[in-house]
Amino acid sequence: MANCQRRLAPLDPIYYPLLTLLFILFTCVDLYDAVTVVDVYRLVQFDISSVPFGSRLATLNHHAASSLFGSDLSRSVIILPVRELDLDLIKEYIGQGKLLGGLLFLLPPHFSPEKVDAAVGIDEDFDLLRNKVSELERLLIHANIPYPVYFAFENDDINAVLAEVKRNDASGQPATATTGGYKLLVAASDPKKIASPTITNIQGWLPGLKLEGDSTQLPTIAIVASYDTFGAAPALSVGSDSNGSGVVALLEIARLFSILYSNPKTRGRYNLLFGLTSGGPYNYNGTQKWLRSFDQRLRESIDYAICLNSLGSLGNELHLHISKPPENKYIQQIFQGLSSVAEESGLQVGLKHKKINISSPRVAWEHEQFSRLRLTAATISELSTAPELLESTGSLTDNRHSVSEASVIQSVKVVAESVARHIYSQEGKGTNIFADNSSLAVNPSYVRSWLNLLSTTSRVAPFLSKNDPLIMALQKELADHTTEVSIQHETLDGTFTFYDSISGRLHVYQVVSVTFDLLLLLVLGSYLITLFSFLVITTRGLDDLISLFRRPPSRKVKAT
Amino acid sequence: MTVFHFFNCAILTFGPHAVYYSATPLSEYDTLWTSIRAAVVYLVTALVKLVCLATFLNVSDSDTFDPYQELLKALFGFIDVAGLYFALTQLTHRNISQNHKFQAVGLGWAFADSVLHRLAPLWVGARGLEFTWDYIFQGLEANANLVFSISLAALGSLMWLRKNKPKTLIPIIYACAGIVATMPSITSYLRRGLGWHLPKVVGFELFSSLLIAFISWQLFVACQRPSN
Repeated sequence: MANCQRRLAPLDPIYYPLLTLLFILFTCVDLYDAVTVVDVYRLVQFDISSVPFGSRLATLNHHAASSLFGSDLSRSVIILPVRELDLDLIKEYIGQGKLLGGLLFLLPPHFSPEKVDAAVGIDEDFDLLRNKVSELERLLIHANIPYPVYFAFENDDINAVLAEVKRNDASGQPATATTGGYKLLVAASDPKKIASPTITNIQGWLPGLKLEGDSTQLPTIAIVASYDTFGAAPALSVGSDSNGSGVVALLEIARLFSILYSNPKTRGRYNLLFGLTSGGPYNYNGTQKWLRSFDQRLRESIDYAICLNSLGSLGNELHLHISKPPENKYIQQIFQGLSSVAEESGLQVGLKHKKINISSPRVAWEHEQFSRLRLTAATISELSTAPELLESTGSLTDNRHSVSEASVIQSVKVVAESVARHIYSQEGKGTNIFADNSSLAVNPSYVRSWLNLLSTTSRVAPFLSKNDPLIMALQKELADHTTEVSIQHETLDGTFTFYDSISGRLHVYQVVSVTFDLLLLLVLGSYLITLFSFLVITTRGLDDLISLFRRPPSRKVKAT
Repeated sequence: MTVFHFFNCAILTFGPHAVYYSATPLSEYDTLWTSIRAAVVYLVTALVKLVCLATFLNVSDSDTFDPYQELLKALFGFIDVAGLYFALTQLTHRNISQNHKFQAVGLGWAFADSVLHRLAPLWVGARGLEFTWDYIFQGLEANANLVFSISLAALGSLMWLRKNKPKTLIPIIYACAGIVATMPSITSYLRRGLGWHLPKVVGFELFSSLLIAFISWQLFVACQRPSN
């Protein structure tokens, strides 16, 4: 015991003052800029058939600059607030493949997925800004950028740094190693390939009522939504509209039918299959694998499938996308059912026909995967045209603010009602099964809470583990509403390769120039010399001081 | 160039001690051994003080100025004075005059203090990427502390070693010694009680150290006169 104390005690005097100094540091925060730390999100890095796209580096360690016109840009990180961004300039810069030390885009705070409840003034500026961000995103995703590109959200700290950097730049003193300024540092290892990314499909089964002695199989109606996302910054890709809204609609429809099917009297003579599929942005790869895993009997029993896609900001038009000719009997049946319900709630349904090109790998809509297997299917979406690859899949602008609850509720009503009328053969009879204020009404708070949850969770499939909390939550939710839930893990097709390190922490250091240190050395040297002279003069007299300087030559004289 | 900055701060923190030793007659009389022994006494004193602080003082989580705790701290501050008393009177010195003895003891005392309290933070902090003025101020503080230590040693030698001093000056000597001994508490009060920032506190320390040095010098001269 005593020994122990004796050993510890001599250490203490060193750490005790250290703590006090830390304390001093904290008390003086407002006077000195301490290290600023910000969360940053890296631009996605991926390959399509070994062709590189996105930001190819993660490590950042350079001085900060604020414009693309400075000198020595290959050794500085340009901080660009998206509000003031000149898109043409950056397009040109990236197009020409000029080298930078790094890029840091500052997004306005209301783009942050964490600010679900923050009220945003939806004014023209905001729409302009969203267009700008989408355009920037498209540019960045399809470029091969040989330096690190990060996104961060504006806050007071980083704005203060930016203001300071701008002031330095304006005064004609760009920050380099010799003039000081701010140094930006993201410590990250080299991005590594994600080996065999998994995609997870979740399936829920609600069996219909089979009459006794009836040996024929019941027909099945499938309701499908793809839940994963893809965006410029995977850590920020929440995709509230594409396809968070579809997932919410699916969950709510499952909830409504689970109420109906829980009672044998109201259980329909159709099986219901709910599918939450992954791999949506990558040509609906997950859907394809999910459908292939079906056994023959199930596949044959599918009457039709409805895919839900982007339902969060309807105008007053819904689009039904199909691959079979519009004259097809089954298609007409779905379309009639939907449009008659939609008209009651003041929505118009447009029929959009797009043929599948079997030789092309591009699958623009989820129903096309069904159509390729000759199953009747259609996609309901607010989008009027098929999106390009990796578009409308959860971009930076696609957050909670771009989705309205009412729109999701409306589409839930239309889809659920038309499916229910088909199941119970109530078409054209004017019955309203999911009427408002009844026990079967759509629950707005359920829709809201799921929208909020999905709007705060990024869901880029390669970065979701097999047991990701979100997947578990979706599985549990489906299990609550259906009788049989199964999860299917598949590997994403080899054409897409992804790289890790999608987010990090940016440390901002204030550094001084070498010139400052040199000057300081000069001042300290003269201080010590003055002190020396002063002390010699006061304690020994001026003559002594002078003799100090005379001594060396006199010695030389003696030596010679 | 952060090693450079560390080097600068180290010069500011430890340079004056070396300059003081080499510029004054201390170097001529080879009083280095005395200084080293004073430094050892300082180390032991610091240890005792630390044990006392750890035993009797609560660890406060808040940054507020607690008068009772500070009073205790000030009381423990007098352990320093006891240590200095020991260094001045009990250590057997070689044949060096009182003048040089107190300077050597004060110098060793201040140097040990600087090494103990400032070297580690300097080594850890000043080499980091982030630039702050803290370490430069800390160096200036070390300068003020050097002056304080030598003044206190001078006053101590007047109190305990000089027998025939003018009666009228005795209370002044004791008052000055008291002020110097409670200096850490005073600065702590300024920093936490009044919320002064570091530059202001360091400025105050530098100014008061020069003032105390001047007063103790005058006292020393005044005490020497009758003996002459």
